[in-house]
Amino acid sequence: MIKINNLSKIFRTDLIETHALRQINLQVNEGEFAALTGPSGSGKSTLLNVLGTLESFDEGDYLLDGRSVKGLSDRELSALRNEKIGFIFQGFNLIKDFSLFDNIELPLRYRGFSSAERKRRVEHALETVGLAARRDYHPSQLSGGQQQRVAIARAIAGEPRILLADEPTGNLDSLMARQVMELLEKINQQGCTILMVTHDPDQARRANRHIQIVDGQLNDATLYEPLIAAGA
Amino acid sequence: MEAIIHNLKLSWFSIKRAPLPYALTLLILSLGLGTFFSNATLYYWMNRDPIPEKSQTLFMARINSLPGDCTDCLEPSRVMSYMDMQKMSGSGITSAEAAMFSSDAYAKTLENQQATPAKVALRITQRDFFALFNVPFLYGEAWPDNKARMEVVISKNTAVKFFGRIDVVGQDMLLDDQLFKVIGVLDDWSMLPRLYDVNGRRSAEPTEDIYMPLETAYDLAIQSNTQNSFTDVDWDGNIATYPHMARTNFANMLQFWVQLDGPEKIQQYQQFLKNMVADEKAAGRHPRPEGNRLDNILDVQKAMRATNDQLDAFALVASLFLLVCVVNASHLSLNRYMANQYEFSLRRALGASRWQLQGQILADVFVSSALAFVAALLFARLGLWTINALLPGTRALASWDWQMLAVMAVFVSLVSYLVTLYPALKTSFSPLNQQLKQ
Ligand SMILES: Nc1ncnc2c1ncn2[C@@H]1O[C@H](COP(=O)(O)OP(=O)(O)O)[C@@H](O)[C@H]1O
Ligand SMILES: [Mg+2]
Repeated sequence: MIKINNLSKIFRTDLIETHALRQINLQVNEGEFAALTGPSGSGKSTLLNVLGTLESFDEGDYLLDGRSVKGLSDRELSALRNEKIGFIFQGFNLIKDFSLFDNIELPLRYRGFSSAERKRRVEHALETVGLAARRDYHPSQLSGGQQQRVAIARAIAGEPRILLADEPTGNLDSLMARQVMELLEKINQQGCTILMVTHDPDQARRANRHIQIVDGQLNDATLYEPLIAAGA
Repeated sequence: MEAIIHNLKLSWFSIKRAPLPYALTLLILSLGLGTFFSNATLYYWMNRDPIPEKSQTLFMARINSLPGDCTDCLEPSRVMSYMDMQKMSGSGITSAEAAMFSSDAYAKTLENQQATPAKVALRITQRDFFALFNVPFLYGEAWPDNKARMEVVISKNTAVKFFGRIDVVGQDMLLDDQLFKVIGVLDDWSMLPRLYDVNGRRSAEPTEDIYMPLETAYDLAIQSNTQNSFTDVDWDGNIATYPHMARTNFANMLQFWVQLDGPEKIQQYQQFLKNMVADEKAAGRHPRPEGNRLDNILDVQKAMRATNDQLDAFALVASLFLLVCVVNASHLSLNRYMANQYEFSLRRALGASRWQLQGQILADVFVSSALAFVAALLFARLGLWTINALLPGTRALASWDWQMLAVMAVFVSLVSYLVTLYPALKTSFSPLNQQLKQ
């Protein structure tokens, strides 16, 4: 469902050019749970942002569901982000003044759902992440792990086809991280494609595919790992 | 509707998050707007057309008839003599015409003779005055002709003040110890600016209390309290001591207003003045160059060089001040939006289009406009109060009608939008990725 061909991204400032992504080719299929690892500064977030259409690219092409995102208008890109893609960030990015309910409802508003439909979806999402009882809480009243679960609820409330998660457990202790991972796996099993950046090798192994990125170039580790394990 | 309420709620949240910078932005903006509005109010009242239904037909007529040979003296005097006024009257061309000047007197009623007399403003004028300026009568009517008679027309407020009631036609009144009969009571009437009286720079003052026939005033030797000039020799060289010969010497204190319906009448009256001046010159009078003037009521301030330069200077300063305030408020507003940039980026990531963000920005503008409008009106009131205290002649110019309030509200909204526009654009077009990662 995601297909990128020879995609490059260069950040230009007055002084330097950073080749954040170099000639990347990648295909992510429906239903996959792919982990993306790599050293800091290697281009993981950039790749995720490009895939989420938060970032433009300089060369190559990006096809989402067979359709190139090149040349789409702001309105089309926004609708695409809103309907097909869910984001989960390392820093949760919840709005502090909003209740959990309002936070999760926000992207549904942009979609133009009726308030009854929004309510149904928010409640369902809250149920999925196990926070139905706290719909009127504010983010500051929750632990980090709970906040990330709210962010996940927000990401899945619109029933996106793909979930892009940038180090979703990076700010969490191991117990909470495990809960979040289990939640993501559950969501994946319900059919949502997930691409997740992580530093944790265990998490990377739990994913059914492991992609490594080094200096803006990809290396699909899944292809080698069985060989390494076999002692080759 | 629900979306609008949601957006308003968001605006409120963003204010609550940083109330101080917001209050500062609003303060600066409404200070600039308030100063601007207080001046604009004066400016509006001073420069509006007080009688739009007939302003095109009302003219002040003058001729350059002062004595003394002076080839450089091209500009006619602001006021004229009784003799000139008579020659300019009765042309048969005007639909209405009246000479006038202003004065004052001490008045009391016969019913209450013990009371200390109260000062009243007098308009000394002729019958057509009321027709010229569409002055409404409540009771009675104007004098039937321009002859001297001990009869006055008074304003509604004057009736109430002296008699305690309105219908006082037929009642007697003492003006400077002369007995007058009230023959008419005017309905509420204000003319702002009072362009028939610009020579004393009193056009911002309220309309007069009492209207007295011109001939009567001459009989009683009443003088203008704004502008007059006397020379004590008449055309024949006779020594004429004012006031008793004011009709025949150069006692200049009159303004002469005519109503001319259409360009043809205007042209005819101009020709009439031209012929008259030629006759005067032939008779050995009117020694100065011909300088006939027929100034439309809307040009009369300029023609009389009675435009209020102070007001213009104030207006300029207020506009510059507003500009400075807008620039400063934009700057503060930019800071505020930059601080909220993260949230805008988040919304974009969650699928809000730039257009949908505009809804949020418009809600911000709406909230700011509403608050700035109220604050600006308060500052403007304060400004007007100060100006009125410093320049008492501006007191009648301080009020607002619904139309002005509406214009001010629109203006505040536009300025608020302007102040918000650049920050908002900058925020909604900035790159998204930087904001969302830690
Ligand atoms: N907005 C930007 N402007 C300039 N350079 C950037 C920008 N975003 C990222 N980069 C650079 O691109 C490279 C990849 O960054 P990023 O994708 O954030 O790495 P990662 O997420 O793997 O740590 C880094 O060298 C980073 O400095
Ligand atoms: Mg990163």
